[in-house]
Amino acid sequence: MNKLVLSLLLVASSAQADTQQQILDGLVAQAGSASPARGEKLFRGKFTGGKAADSCTACHTENAKSAGQHVKTHKAIDPIAPVAQKDRFTDAAKVEKWFKRNCQEVLGRACTPQEKADFTAYMISVK
Amino acid sequence: MATASEITWKNLLTLMLSVSAAAALISNAPADDEAIFPMPTGKTYVNECGSCHTAYAPGLLPARSWRKMMGELGNHFGEDASLEEPQRLEILKHLELLAADGSQANMRMRRINGAIAAGAAPQRISETGYFKYMHDEVPAYIWKRKKIGTLANCIACHTRANEGRYGEREVRIPQ
Repeated sequence: MNKLVLSLLLVASSAQADTQQQILDGLVAQAGSASPARGEKLFRGKFTGGKAADSCTACHTENAKSAGQHVKTHKAIDPIAPVAQKDRFTDAAKVEKWFKRNCQEVLGRACTPQEKADFTAYMISVK
Repeated sequence: MATASEITWKNLLTLMLSVSAAAALISNAPADDEAIFPMPTGKTYVNECGSCHTAYAPGLLPARSWRKMMGELGNHFGEDASLEEPQRLEILKHLELLAADGSQANMRMRRINGAIAAGAAPQRISETGYFKYMHDEVPAYIWKRKKIGTLANCIACHTRANEGRYGEREVRIPQ
């Protein structure tokens, strides 16, 4: 009986989303390290390469815990920091999708594994 | 020439009956309050399209508009909104099925389609005749409010737009 409960628990937990730490670990595995300070610099940096916006903060605001707004469509955007929006950085495919999309729109190029790890480390560190 | 003497009880009764008959007809007719569009099933549409903007009801444009749009996602109003091919095809299938000229189109969708020239494939819903007609009473200063900002931001006022609900009763204009 205990075995049954245990296996059910295992099934249930494997069906759940990743934790933020698991997502970060996956990115660090590719980058080698992660620096929240560098991630914050990237988040607050101004860039000229992208077409849609000159910074992450243009949509996500200077405060990662605040709701943002798409610069063009004005659609409301949930806060990006997990402390304010708990499902952030819990789906590896979604994280990759938005890095691909937004790095292109802001930097005009793909982000490096280092940048992704740093950025994620910063967002998770926001309290 | 009608004179006061011709206003008989019979005439008055006829008038009252026709007024109440008309009132009954009006109250039974589907009001604009019930502007409900069918939406794609599943989460792909809202997740992929609805993360950057309102998940517009497919019935707001004809299928030819959607086909053109879904063929040019690499330059989607100036942005690269490319999708993986399976998602792109899934979304296109829903858009074609539920488009304003689709086989399941309701009366409102037919009116939307009817106001679009047969050869045209408009890409902006806000440029269709029906949209303009329905919003002609909204003054410019309202559109400029920060939480609205653009004609494309349906969900700012039509709070249930992502469910295909555009009824006037559910409009909440942000300050």
